[in-house]
Amino acid sequence: MPGMPTDGVGAIVPFTGEPGQGAPPVRPIRHGVPPPIFRIYVSWSSGNLLQVACLRPPNSEGGGGTEEVVGSVVEVNLGDGGSEAEEKIDEAEMRRIEYGSVPAFALLQSRKNTLADAATMSHLPSVPDHAEWWQYVLEYSKTIGNLLGNPDPPVFMIEDPKTILKVREKPTSLRAAWELLEIFYVDKHLQGWLPERLVDWLADFDSLLSTMASTVYSKLSNFQKKLINLQIVEDDPDYWNGLSAALSVGWLDIVVNMLRFHGSYQLDQMDNRETENGLVEAVAVLVSTMPRLRPNLPSGKLGQCCKTRPDFIKAWEKWRGQVTKLECSAFWIQCGHQKTRDGLKNLLHIMMGNINELTDATYHWLELFASHFLYIKPFTVGFEGMHHLAQKCIQLKPSSSTNGLTGLILGVLSENTEVVLAECTKNFGPWLVTHAMELLTADNDYADVMLHEERPNLGGISIEELHRLVYAQVLCSHSLTWQIAPTYLSSCLNQGLGLLEILLLKQPIQDNCLVLKTLEICRLYELENVSTIIMKIAGIYHWKHGRKGTGVYWFQQAHDKICLDRIAQQLFEHIGKSVTDDSFKQWEGLLELLGSDIGSAGGLEFLHRYRDFKRSLQQALDRRCGEAARQTVDFLIQLMKNPSTPQRFWLPLLHDSVELLNSKLCPLMNVAETTLLLNKLQELSMAKLRPDFSSNHLPSHAISSVRLALASNLARAILGDP
Amino acid sequence: MADCPSFRRHPLASSIDLVRWLPSSSTSPSGRLLAAAAHDPTSAPAASSIHLLPLSDPGSPLASLPLPSRATALRCSTAALAAATSSGSLHFLPSSFDSDAAVSVPGGAGFHVGPVRGLDCGGEEWVTAGEDGRVHVVGGAADGRVVARRVWDGKGMSGYEAARWASPVEFATGGAGCGVQWWDRRKGDAVVAQCNGIWGHGIVTGMVHSIDIHPSRKHICVVGGSSGTIFAWDLRWPQQPIPLSGVGLNRTAEPVCESEVWEVLFDTCTQSSDIISSASARILPVMMCSEDGILAVVEQDERPLELLAEACAINSFDIDPQNPSDVVCALEWESIGVLTRGRDAMAE
Repeated sequence: MPGMPTDGVGAIVPFTGEPGQGAPPVRPIRHGVPPPIFRIYVSWSSGNLLQVACLRPPNSEGGGGTEEVVGSVVEVNLGDGGSEAEEKIDEAEMRRIEYGSVPAFALLQSRKNTLADAATMSHLPSVPDHAEWWQYVLEYSKTIGNLLGNPDPPVFMIEDPKTILKVREKPTSLRAAWELLEIFYVDKHLQGWLPERLVDWLADFDSLLSTMASTVYSKLSNFQKKLINLQIVEDDPDYWNGLSAALSVGWLDIVVNMLRFHGSYQLDQMDNRETENGLVEAVAVLVSTMPRLRPNLPSGKLGQCCKTRPDFIKAWEKWRGQVTKLECSAFWIQCGHQKTRDGLKNLLHIMMGNINELTDATYHWLELFASHFLYIKPFTVGFEGMHHLAQKCIQLKPSSSTNGLTGLILGVLSENTEVVLAECTKNFGPWLVTHAMELLTADNDYADVMLHEERPNLGGISIEELHRLVYAQVLCSHSLTWQIAPTYLSSCLNQGLGLLEILLLKQPIQDNCLVLKTLEICRLYELENVSTIIMKIAGIYHWKHGRKGTGVYWFQQAHDKICLDRIAQQLFEHIGKSVTDDSFKQWEGLLELLGSDIGSAGGLEFLHRYRDFKRSLQQALDRRCGEAARQTVDFLIQLMKNPSTPQRFWLPLLHDSVELLNSKLCPLMNVAETTLLLNKLQELSMAKLRPDFSSNHLPSHAISSVRLALASNLARAILGDP
Repeated sequence: MADCPSFRRHPLASSIDLVRWLPSSSTSPSGRLLAAAAHDPTSAPAASSIHLLPLSDPGSPLASLPLPSRATALRCSTAALAAATSSGSLHFLPSSFDSDAAVSVPGGAGFHVGPVRGLDCGGEEWVTAGEDGRVHVVGGAADGRVVARRVWDGKGMSGYEAARWASPVEFATGGAGCGVQWWDRRKGDAVVAQCNGIWGHGIVTGMVHSIDIHPSRKHICVVGGSSGTIFAWDLRWPQQPIPLSGVGLNRTAEPVCESEVWEVLFDTCTQSSDIISSASARILPVMMCSEDGILAVVEQDERPLELLAEACAINSFDIDPQNPSDVVCALEWESIGVLTRGRDAMAE
């Protein structure tokens, strides 16, 4: 779009077109073209890059200054426009995730294709394969999950006993989302323990739920900061609030650890606190022996595991009995410390599943949701029940801001794949959507149909393909990640290959190594025609930039006879002028390049033979030996016989050999050979009359001297013939 | 993705084109050092530099030397680290790694135009060979400057991709389509022998990417190039190059790779399987890295020993001269890998 620049400093002003946006952002560019600027062209390059060409008026005054810049093209990166998300993964880290997910994705696709092939071969319903399939998806999910960061703290770490929350890698919401999808969609054999898995998930990612409003995590970390300056912890209401909050979401190890901060444990007690200490310890023991409906617990976590439901019910009733017994105990009267008494009783009420205490102790609706699984409805199963419960919790704890993760959970619980997909697209970007698609369809027939159905409104492609193409576009727009885009494009059956060809043809060809990398991708995907085009483009580029050898190399690789012939014509022009000159030597390297198999060189074949002839002629004239002279004549005959020898070289070739022909007393050629040369000479004399004959720089008597030399040779040959 | 137990990848936040071990010195407190040529196209304008990385923590460079364009060749000697760029310049960083003391030869009509991929140190002097067809010998002048002397100007008729010294007076070059040339400085800086190479699969000619010459056998070049081709060229029989690997060469049934062989080096760590014959005409084991992610040791008439099979290209590698069981390689996906071969691997 050509346009006239604004007056002044030459800045590009993007126009957003939306009212109320305030001043449009101004981006100064350094183009180095002195004013006046005549034209500006703006066009999109790959990704966020904008190419801006600034040109001066043509033939402006002062034509002598050839060094003056008449125009320049600058690239402007419009990216990094102030993203508001706080915990955004930086670009290099995201690229690391993108690279790492390629092998896992490729492996899963190849397994999928193998299973599909096997199914079509055997014509059997793939029931056993199905069981196998989710194992593959689980393996894939774990591989990708590991890329996103490991939330487990390092094993050996000396920790301050007063540390409440363990120091560890900051979790990312990308990982939180991935793990959530894995829990709900893939991990089948842990499906029975879904509530406990959600509790674990919340323990890992509670800090991500909200940045503004308080969460259990934020309360505890605030208390942690405060703890250093506290003399008597049990007098502080935050201590008891923190305890009840941690207990309500099931962070039992933290609760027990915090209970041990209680002042009654200190040995140098002034007053008698044995009973108080006994009560604190009793609660701690009850907390640490809480039954959990799960197969196992990670090390450091507390509770007793019950694998089956009857076991759990038995243990649960016993434990609840103990909690109730302690609650009704007579020792509470002897406990002198009011806050301890209230705080501990509160903890007991939470363990008894008192809804009011749980609601008070938690902050976010998801925390309340998790506490329901732990203390009120440990047997909640099925999405419907969970969704109903979630709605109830949201009513009790309405949150002002919706977070991507909560939206995702609600989408999952409402069994609405469309909502899940929309939430993923909106909040976590194309990488997650593309890779999570495999999780969604792992064991969900509805999602499978919905995502794989070809839709006319999307141009005949499926939703899955659409998202892969979007992700591939993101990869293509970056010069470091474009090389992994083909993996995703090749998994798109409808439009992938076409876009892959376009991508490959758009790659820069200036650098030989980069061209070879592009060609390697062409080889992998068997795109011979694309690689031929790329080689031709590279050949033309190098030829134009004076690297004739490299240019010819690429043309040879592309088997491009037309270009090689054209190059040969250009070389003939050059050689035609300096045919008697010794500067021929500089073509030596190029001729060497053509190799021994000159058949592939097109018109350049002639040059190779011509070089041999010249070299041989030089030797023959220098040494004056019969052997070399005979060989030179052989070369001459070969050249004259060969149809690829241009006609305008006939006379120079013959003229070059006059000296040789005249220098010998014995004939160098037999009758037939001499006749051939004389015929050619005759043909040449005829051609001279035609208007398109290109004259060369030989003296006018050249033809006659050649004719004389040939005639005398013929005479000697006839005489010599037996 | 079968990882060798002693292989570690270190992600770096920019593309790593080349990587070399630096000669370790007792003065460096941080242990062994690596030199890596990094290219970051995300910053505008795209930034290229040479980083000095400690092996213990490759993520945090100790020093950096900015380059005007992307590095195309990187070599180090005991005195200096040298890097050539795609704009034809040559940069020296003295072994003190003081980037203020760096000297350079600017690219352009007086030196090289376009990428310089052939670079090697032959004691006192460095040889450079560029895609523009020029060959220079660069040495230090008395006043501390560097002086480049033009040995040959091919005027673009042939382009060079690799260069290697054999002795202080001989070196080899290789390039696109032109095979390998042997230069002798005693004979007027001229090519004294020429080998067109062996390219299988009906390919008439290919591109040479890397040449190595063993210090104890200076008459043998090992050459790596396109289509998975690796061959040895013995100057005593210049007409008969010896194939080590390649597509469609009938002598080796199974090529170690089918894509570009980016670098080859004689592997001083792997013992030749036949000790007696290793003293004779057999070619010593050669390590190679390739575009399809293979790092392997290739031997004449032997099955190749695959050390790594990565999901991305291995663009460059180097064997630690002081501790040849350690190999560092530059991976396409913005990372470097350090491979430590155990004693088991060496015994085989």
